[in-house]
Amino acid sequence: MGVDFQNVIEGLLVSIQPINLLWVLIGGFLGTVVGMLPGLGPATAVAVLIPITFGMDPTSALILMAAIYYGAMYGGSRSSILLNTPGDGSAIAATFDGYPMSQKGQAGQALTLSAIASLIGGMFAIIGFILLAKPLATFALRFGPAEYFMLMIFTLSAIVSLSKGNMVKGFISMSVGLILSTVGIDLQTGVHRFTFDVPQLSEGIDFLVVIIGIYAVGEVLYNYLAIDSLKAEKKKVGNKWITKEQWKVSKWPMIRSGPLGFLIGVLPGAGGSIASMLSYTTERQLSKNPENFGKGAPEGLAAPESANNAASVGAFIPLLTMGIPGSGTTAVILGAVIMLGLRPGPLLFEDNPEMVWTLVNSMFIGNIMLVILNILLVGLLVRILDTPPKILYPLILVLAFIGTYTLSYSMVDFYILIIFGFIGLFMKLLKFPIAPLILAVIVGTDMEQNFRKSLVAHDNYLNIFFASSIATTLTILTILSVMYPFILGWIQKRRQKQA
Amino acid sequence: MVRLFTPLFLNILSIVYLILVSQVPESRTGNPNGPIYFPMAIGIFMLLCSIVYFIQEWKHRKEEVAEFKKLMAGRTPFLIGSTIVLILIYSFLFERIGFLYSTILFLGGLLFTVNGKKHWLQNILIAVIFSFISWYSFAELLQVSLP
Amino acid sequence: MKKLLGILSLLFVMFIMGCSSDGSTEGSEDESNFPEKDIEFVAPASPGGGWDGTARAMQKILTDEEVVDENINVVNKPGGSGEVGWQYLTSKDAHNITINSSLVITNNLLGQSELTYKDFTPLGVLTTEWISIAVPPESEYEEGSEVMEQLKKDPTSMKIGVAPGLGNNDHLSFIQAAKEYGVDVPKLEFQIYESGGDVVSALLGGHIDVASMSVSEAKEQHLAGKFKMIAVSSEERIEGLEEVPTWEEQGVDMVFPHWRGIMGPPDMTEEEIAYWDEKIEEMVETDAWKTLLKNNEWQSYYKDSQESKEFLQQQTENYEDLLNESGLTE
Repeated sequence: MGVDFQNVIEGLLVSIQPINLLWVLIGGFLGTVVGMLPGLGPATAVAVLIPITFGMDPTSALILMAAIYYGAMYGGSRSSILLNTPGDGSAIAATFDGYPMSQKGQAGQALTLSAIASLIGGMFAIIGFILLAKPLATFALRFGPAEYFMLMIFTLSAIVSLSKGNMVKGFISMSVGLILSTVGIDLQTGVHRFTFDVPQLSEGIDFLVVIIGIYAVGEVLYNYLAIDSLKAEKKKVGNKWITKEQWKVSKWPMIRSGPLGFLIGVLPGAGGSIASMLSYTTERQLSKNPENFGKGAPEGLAAPESANNAASVGAFIPLLTMGIPGSGTTAVILGAVIMLGLRPGPLLFEDNPEMVWTLVNSMFIGNIMLVILNILLVGLLVRILDTPPKILYPLILVLAFIGTYTLSYSMVDFYILIIFGFIGLFMKLLKFPIAPLILAVIVGTDMEQNFRKSLVAHDNYLNIFFASSIATTLTILTILSVMYPFILGWIQKRRQKQA
Repeated sequence: MVRLFTPLFLNILSIVYLILVSQVPESRTGNPNGPIYFPMAIGIFMLLCSIVYFIQEWKHRKEEVAEFKKLMAGRTPFLIGSTIVLILIYSFLFERIGFLYSTILFLGGLLFTVNGKKHWLQNILIAVIFSFISWYSFAELLQVSLP
Repeated sequence: MKKLLGILSLLFVMFIMGCSSDGSTEGSEDESNFPEKDIEFVAPASPGGGWDGTARAMQKILTDEEVVDENINVVNKPGGSGEVGWQYLTSKDAHNITINSSLVITNNLLGQSELTYKDFTPLGVLTTEWISIAVPPESEYEEGSEVMEQLKKDPTSMKIGVAPGLGNNDHLSFIQAAKEYGVDVPKLEFQIYESGGDVVSALLGGHIDVASMSVSEAKEQHLAGKFKMIAVSSEERIEGLEEVPTWEEQGVDMVFPHWRGIMGPPDMTEEEIAYWDEKIEEMVETDAWKTLLKNNEWQSYYKDSQESKEFLQQQTENYEDLLNESGLTE
């Protein structure tokens, strides 16, 4: 499927009209700011900003909302890096190495690196979009229930395998997450499970509340342990610019993670969380020094940042080529542009290609603007670390509650938030890995539903694992990722013997 | 022995969950046991992991857990306790007296607890200004419905 | 100084969030007694959802076209398929109104809610969407009736995709048609997807054999030849989709609307009801409203408060029947 470059150029011309440039700038800026707040991710950012688009030209509205979306992806990792409080599933992986970098006094570099990684990931994805949109959309359709089920199993197992040394804790953490995801009405049968007659629970526990509770509230409670000894951290936030060394180690991980994140982003329903987590585990397994991961390795920050931004661009492919929203955020965007009289679908790409290319080009421009914007903001943002912890932590707590309220407008979630704050506190104290729990809550419901759907499709449940070449590949990868730490240990033992 | 609390708790949790699973009503459509398969599988898996964890910890049962001591040291229990009380009061007041006033009280209370009474002026100023700005930006500029 | 800077920058971050004010109109006094204060529009869904969009669009039209003089605020109360928002409304006065749909009936029938439409004051029905049956383009079936004949022979021979839950309109309209053909309904194998978009991609990818979804979700795909619509639940063929036969033409006596309406709290006075009847009637006549309908592929289905009450009564009977038939209730 070739690309008509005529249309690409036309789109470029529309996208550099001053008004559209302005929307990109405004959207990117607002998205960055809203995304920065703990508890407010891209979906909320777009949703609360929709009223701005009322009465706008649909193309401009689409440009604006896309800019808010990837702006929030840039902003989301800011709070992960500085405060260990991600605002969304896709920003979680940025805490793994971003926060340790901050603690080592490299906050400025971490912020810059994540912005550059986001740019590189975004660029790969945009080029991928231009060249491969249609064939990829067709490929994504081949993912049926069995394939999704295996993709989720694979991601979970890859995350659990990160908890080296104590896989059992990782598996327990994952199981708790999966248990949480079973709360609510069972989609396939309408049966209420574990809802205890609370109507707010019938739609399940929102994974964002779990993230805010465990990370933000848990982090605040955890810091209480040492709050009197924490001085206003006179850390040198140091250089804004990354060193040559940091660039060297993170160059290839960024470049590899872009396409990976992009491909996963194209799959409807997979999205940024899976993309960033998978790219992180992949890079760790490819790395020569996996022991540095989790201790502030620049490549451990660069890889997921590149992947999640690429995924956010990828998520537009099913939306624009087929009218299928691939993520919560694109679903919100779809709803908003329909209100404005634009209906993305297979016909849009054929009848109105210049509009699609306008959007793609504006993403290109927007990503460049955002990098500049974010690097300019680094100096301001690192000042947050200068706030005395005794003032900063109460403020984070308040923001966590406001963020939670904007998700569901219900008091029930306040109580759930406290409970997860405590779970987070104890998990930190007892050194349980948190990521498997969060990821399990995010994918758990989909995983079960896909499992159940594939049970109907395949008479023998074993067939699910080998339903297609995609499923088989994922099954093999899953087994490898679980076995990987053992294989590695075995190789090391042999080496030691030989030495 | 403190070490065994967590694994024991996790074991009990898995068993309670499995009991709850067994009480999930049968589905009237499709496979009657459909809603149970997946939770049952997780419950059993979790139970197995908890047992393994228990055995692991049993081997180290004599060792102290430093983290728990930290939790009980200094004014940490007081801080955590008052934070919970403040959150409960906040949740209670939030929809009754509205976002702005309840947030000022909540944030003020937190600051007085954590930051100390010595900095009272700073505390009050931050509580009022921060609450007002967040109320203004959410309710007025973003049109998010706040009570 | 450093400390202060830190705090200031945090405050700055909070502040700059809102360079985007879209001003709300000023309220003015009305001569009549009702309404006396701002109107609150309860959207029983999160921002970004369908109900929220409808509520905010109506807010804009009612204000911009100067139908209502008071300020209108949208309040989000999501949860429990509308239950949370509606529960909230029961304790409010006539300045609070909300959007409803068939969920206000089915939640109760499915045992998920104590409330029925009788616990509120129906103020009007506004719009409807029609529901279509679609199959992949290479499918041997050309009409809905052929699918039903096949399912009559073997109810488990096809995987049927619906969203977003059992007991909703897409599901029940399929059941109503199947029932008319004498299909063994409880044996049907439904695959439930989270959203209409997921159903579309499952059908495009060949993971289901037939799908029931709203016409708006299927139209683009149908026109692009990605799949075939083989039946619609409307009375007459739909404009722009003249080649798709209705169920009635295929020998099934069935018209199945997916409607949305407006209701207020219980015990509203005659005067208050009359006020809303007038305002809503005025609203549905505006061009802005008609554009909204067109953009969303909704059809006008306006009924005033009295007609709505009767309509809801008749709908309740129908839904009760269908839910029994599907095996979801006894």
